[in-house]
Amino acid sequence: MINALRQRFNIPPREEWRERIMDMVDARVRAITAGLSMKELRAILRGDEPTEKPNPRYKVITTSFVAHLRPRYYQQAATWFSHTLRLGWFTTFFFVVETITGVILMFYYIPFPDQAYGSILAIESNVFFGELLRDLHRLGAEAMVLFSWLHLLRTYFTGSYKGPRSFTWLTGVILLLITAWLSFSGYLLPWDQLAYWAVTVGSSITESGPVVGPAINMIMRGAPDIGTGGLLRFYLQHVILFPLLAILFISIHYYKVSREHSISLPAVVEETEMDPNEKKEHTRRIDLIPDLLTHEIFLTALGIFVMLAIIYFRWFQSPLETHANPQQTPLDTKAPWYFWWLQGMLKIDPAAIFENMLGAVGIQVELSRLLDSKFIMGLVVPPALVIILMAIPYIDRNPSRLARKRPFAIAWGIAWIFIVLAWSYMGTPEYGIETPPATRIIQDLAPEEGEGPLREIPFEELQAGIYTVGQDEAVDLCPQYSYIPEGGDEHDLVLGCPHLTAVFMEFSERLRDAEVDGALPNLNARLLVEQVQHNLFRLVPHVEWSDPATGETKTYEHTYFLHENRAEH
Amino acid sequence: MKNIQLQIILGTILVLLSAAILIVMGVREPARLAEYEVQQRAGQIEFGAGVYINNCTSCHGSQAQGIPGRAPSLRSEEFFTARLDEVGWQGSLEDYIISVVTVGRQVSTRPELYPGGGVPAMPTWSEKFGGPLRDDQIRAVAAFIMNFEAYALGLEPTAVPVLPVVDESDPASVGRAIFLTAGCTACHTISGLSTGNLGPVLDGLASRAGERVEGLSAEEYIHQSLVDPGAYVVEGFDNIMPADIVAEMSEEELDSLIAFLLTLE
Repeated sequence: MINALRQRFNIPPREEWRERIMDMVDARVRAITAGLSMKELRAILRGDEPTEKPNPRYKVITTSFVAHLRPRYYQQAATWFSHTLRLGWFTTFFFVVETITGVILMFYYIPFPDQAYGSILAIESNVFFGELLRDLHRLGAEAMVLFSWLHLLRTYFTGSYKGPRSFTWLTGVILLLITAWLSFSGYLLPWDQLAYWAVTVGSSITESGPVVGPAINMIMRGAPDIGTGGLLRFYLQHVILFPLLAILFISIHYYKVSREHSISLPAVVEETEMDPNEKKEHTRRIDLIPDLLTHEIFLTALGIFVMLAIIYFRWFQSPLETHANPQQTPLDTKAPWYFWWLQGMLKIDPAAIFENMLGAVGIQVELSRLLDSKFIMGLVVPPALVIILMAIPYIDRNPSRLARKRPFAIAWGIAWIFIVLAWSYMGTPEYGIETPPATRIIQDLAPEEGEGPLREIPFEELQAGIYTVGQDEAVDLCPQYSYIPEGGDEHDLVLGCPHLTAVFMEFSERLRDAEVDGALPNLNARLLVEQVQHNLFRLVPHVEWSDPATGETKTYEHTYFLHENRAEH
Repeated sequence: MKNIQLQIILGTILVLLSAAILIVMGVREPARLAEYEVQQRAGQIEFGAGVYINNCTSCHGSQAQGIPGRAPSLRSEEFFTARLDEVGWQGSLEDYIISVVTVGRQVSTRPELYPGGGVPAMPTWSEKFGGPLRDDQIRAVAAFIMNFEAYALGLEPTAVPVLPVVDESDPASVGRAIFLTAGCTACHTISGLSTGNLGPVLDGLASRAGERVEGLSAEEYIHQSLVDPGAYVVEGFDNIMPADIVAEMSEEELDSLIAFLLTLE
């Protein structure tokens, strides 16, 4: 009966079933993996040799669209960790992290000045894992900038920009610029004071350009000041234009590495005499499948874990200051750290330097009218540096990549690291910007934005009073007072108000030092602590002094409000 | 063990650790979101307090206590319990505050108390309508005023205003507290204490009070200015100082206030 049915419907005998199903599965697996059979997959996972000839693991690279960007293999020495440090790989990894987190953030972010800041607050307070997403995006952005710079340094010091890789180097420099701009354009989006002023300062550089300078500035900002138009322009550049450019240039950059000239071999392998067997070992093929791919998956796991750990342990938090206020420039406005070198460079006045140099040999000239320092240092020197950077492979004609055979290039590279670090230091507000002493002292205790010792006084310690410098001893301000900190028990009892006392002590000491130095004569200063609401205190450090030059009485004070539930950092 | 297998094992461990971190964060996430919202509200109140101090004190008083004849208290029980019914507002009190601050009030709802004097009873504050404030500032100032609720309803009796240390035995110290609470700060500036600009600056008052009016000593002049503000108006200022503030004070309080003002040399 069964046999009759089998014959009727042409059903194969039982022993053939298994084989036929496996063939069908295998065909699907080959379609999905672009040519790898089940058997082959198992061999890959077990670390066995390829099961078929020609090697099906290479076939993937010719048949799959995604895999065709990938190399078939690298030579063993090119994969040394000490050679590449995986810097380029991690830069790409961060780009992928940015793309994924960025797309999710785009669902919540509103690029409109009235709502942008509020939407960031909503991401932090109303989106599950919202803070994590923002932290990942911000951390990934800064890491991408850092790693692209490190990748550039590595390529420079191993001499990998030479020979067939000169064009790849050039696309790499373009990618560095794209990365910087991606990061900078994202800087504006939270629409807080940090964002607004960093971008205002950054974009104002173009203003001093000749003829087209103001026009470029206008195109960038969309109006004389950054507003609705400016935010939208930065947003669209950040989410569409520059990601597309980045994808294009990453593809070009990477395709040349993977399909044309590969990762450079370490110069010791390429250029030095060595035992043929050793050389053979160093140049043997390390295949993409499975070795390189496994390593990349491992690096991905490592990268994700490290980022999560950094965020989990709060070693990194994306900053969010108060709402952007075009009317109020915060005191220590600074660019993002990767532009400090540029900001530092802008503090250099070439006219004055030349005048001094010429003055030293007896020539008195006035150059400042001819040489506008903002124009030169902001618009002439940086593009010139970028062009020189791009042209390095064409300038450096030394064929050798061995460090000891290119001492000048190595010294030159190290010198530039120090120059950029020095410029970066000069770019911080600590350098070259004089703040009046009273302002400086109060600003150090409580910066306009961010934390500082004054804001870190626990709410429980705030005791209304006027604490006068010189009159009130800056020790043990509230002796009758004690409290148990939040989350503690009686063993944690705090006597008096040590934090408030410490802040007042620092305030007093620094002011009196300034008085002794003659910067603040006839000093009269106090710290007012006043309760405004049941959970809100007002703190006003107030300084009066006679101006050393004119004798006029001057005052400086700043008002701070501290709420019981304020965020502790 | 082959390098590749080592990487697979280590990679698996890292993935598991990452998953563990995510699970821990995920478990804590609802609490974090709630806490962030509380902190955000606290930050908004701090910010709003700054907006209030810079914009609102000249009419509503340095402590939102209101100034008779000028503008009502924003921390009274009546404001938190009866005001919405009085004006027939459907939404929340916070929305009401935001709405009033945004567009101002062209006509007073209580002209017998706060006449407005032919100009809008309250100016327009939103920059959308020509005022100086952004929307987020207006929302923040509303959050700050809403934070008076606990005090207004008597839930936080010690709250406002707790003043900088008052020495009860020293009339000048008591007078200083009266100066700060009675509404004087809305119009008068004393360096370090107040920033009002509708009335004369009181710095150095004690040294010039005796020379203002023929025949009156400094103390008598200050007494007259307080009890009968219209008797002598300093040149350049209008006769707008309300007399009822002082009328409500006891004789002792008045003396303390005068004692304090006499210390302003």
